Amino acid sequence: MVSGLIYLGVACSKDDSPEIEPEVLFRVPPNFPKPVYDFSKNPLTKEGVELGKILFFDGNLSRDGTISCAECHSQPSAFTHHGHDLSHGIDNKIGIRNSMPIQNMAFQKEFFWDGGVFDLDLFSIAPIENPVEMDEKLGNVLEKLRKQEKYTTLFQKAYGSKEITTERFLKALSQFMLTLVSANSLYDKYVRKEAGGILSSEELEGLAIFKQKCASCHSGELFTDLSYRNNGLPVYNKEDTGRQRITAIQTDSYKFKVPSLRNVAMTAPYMHDGRFYSLDAVLNHYTDGVIESKTLDGLLMNNETPGIALTKDEKAKLIAFLKTLTDEEFLKNKKFGI
Amino acid sequence: MKNFSYLLIALFASIIVVSCQKEDDINPNDKNTVILEFDNRVGDQKLVLGTTTAKNSLNEDFTVTRLNYFVSNIALKNENGEVVKFPNQYFLVRQSDPNSLLIKLDNVPAGNYNEVSYMIGVDSLKSVSDVSQRTGVLDPASYGDDFMYWSWNSGYIFFKMEGKSSAIPPNMMNMTEYAFHVGGFGGMTGKTINNLRTITLPMANTAQVRRDVSPQIHVIHDVSKVFNGVNQISIAKTYMVHSPDAGIPIGQNYAKSFIVDHVHNEKD
Ligand code: HEC
Ligand code: HEC
Repeated sequence: MVSGLIYLGVACSKDDSPEIEPEVLFRVPPNFPKPVYDFSKNPLTKEGVELGKILFFDGNLSRDGTISCAECHSQPSAFTHHGHDLSHGIDNKIGIRNSMPIQNMAFQKEFFWDGGVFDLDLFSIAPIENPVEMDEKLGNVLEKLRKQEKYTTLFQKAYGSKEITTERFLKALSQFMLTLVSANSLYDKYVRKEAGGILSSEELEGLAIFKQKCASCHSGELFTDLSYRNNGLPVYNKEDTGRQRITAIQTDSYKFKVPSLRNVAMTAPYMHDGRFYSLDAVLNHYTDGVIESKTLDGLLMNNETPGIALTKDEKAKLIAFLKTLTDEEFLKNKKFGI
Repeated sequence: MKNFSYLLIALFASIIVVSCQKEDDINPNDKNTVILEFDNRVGDQKLVLGTTTAKNSLNEDFTVTRLNYFVSNIALKNENGEVVKFPNQYFLVRQSDPNSLLIKLDNVPAGNYNEVSYMIGVDSLKSVSDVSQRTGVLDPASYGDDFMYWSWNSGYIFFKMEGKSSAIPPNMMNMTEYAFHVGGFGGMTGKTINNLRTITLPMANTAQVRRDVSPQIHVIHDVSKVFNGVNQISIAKTYMVHSPDAGIPIGQNYAKSFIVDHVHNEKD
């Protein structure tokens, strides 16, 4: 537990008054697994996180200054793009995929719906250089930042010198994203037996159904086993073969990352291409819409017809349960905004 | 005048002395540089970007507008079979930048080297390393418009060749361009395509490193072999290569497109 805490460096210096509680920048929630991210390569500091946050909200990271990361990853929707099925970027260009929530990044080993990026520190290059997202060159971004005194000062504060390098830039963005931990939903309080952690009987029944019918893929406290699977969506875009784009393995075609379901009530639309606008639509897919194919997941072939059998009543209970995964503290925490 | 001829005689004498020594004592404490020169050609023509036109063996014409590749893990083997390695040195050869065509290896121990090997690409260890390890030509911010890095499928583009060919059906913008981008280091968390190629070239005349000799190894890279190699590439059919699996046949071809033409062993 102690190793999961990263305190502010200053907290150790003797001059500071001991009464001030050290600010915890990252903490492993007691019900969570061990983080995957190697913090020893990028120790979080208050100034580093602050710099990362300012970068995250800065349109200068895009070619024409209009699109910041926050544009497609906004806090009230658990840092995803609300109201857009496919993400809208620069010049209103439309990507092929639905934006993803940024939460609990420290616990993920791969990023993107197809897992094409294996290191959070390398991640930010992708949206910056994607022609339909920010359409800028990483080198230009650094040049723009170097010309602003605001940034030379912020880098000085975070790293002890004014130099703006690729490593410092990318790691600052990681620092901010790593602090985005969502673990204080009603469900969390319930499993941790904390004050107020009481689920209604409907929610409890929903949880039981979830464990039985969904948790084989949406497993554990992250509500994902982090694997890539085909959950039977009819193929709308043949070109987007998902995990196969990365591995070039036939049996990976049309498999996508099992998404976390934390804050799921706030992250519509759903699926890698944002095809479902409500949780009802998602459940209707599982009961009636699952399409058989070569790579359809075996867990969805347990019944006579592919899919998951759920009554109307069970669906309502499941949705009631999924709503307990909404973490208001996370969605409203002023620390994560500017 | 008289003084001058004495000087000449003295000079000749010293050359003779040195060249006699050459065979016998190689002082292993002596170090010098070795230059690897990458001379990119198209068959028997000079490669001028955007200008030189050639045909592949399917009679499809092509030009080359861009040619870049990473060279790393260079090693030299001497007559006794001992190998000198140059780890953690990464070079980016860009045809548009004449300086990049000369790769300088420092502190090479004196010896007679008869084999050179190198990798086209960035080895898997480096490809998964922390960002702090990605400086110089490995800095993803250093490429401007000419990316040598795939951000959507984390990894370097090992080899990039682009150009035009009238064999290509014109696209919406009436352009007939091919782009071969080859990468893929084998994967970090799961196994993926590996297009890392190590090229080993014998040197008929040895590179003779001495205290006062820094050899230059002249490597010829024939880009026409990128089309006509182990695999016959039809430009009309294959003109957009942007992923590791699509790059396999291209990589197999360029792996066999280099030779050492000759070695210069002039004195410094
Ligand atoms: C134009 C909209 C857009 C912008 C701008 C944008 N993103 Fe994204 N983001 C997306 C989309 C779409 C995805 C999923 C894409 C995919 O899987 O191919 C995504 C995925 C991610 C993920 C992966 C999450 C996961 O669970 O795998 C992270 C992290 C992320 N973005 C961070 C950023 C950062 C940092 C920036 C700014 C440098 C940024 N994004 C800018 C749309 C955007
Ligand atoms: C066989 C594994 C599997 C099972 C079982 C499964 N899911 Fe999924 N789920 C997935 C995958 C994979 C995706 C992403 C698919 C895509 O976008 O292509 C997904 C996506 C979702 C999404 C969309 C989330 C988002 O952010 O877009 C929701 C909601 C969801 N599942 C809920 C459920 C519920 C509720 C159940 C049980 C009734 C369930 N799932 C059962 C694999 C599974």
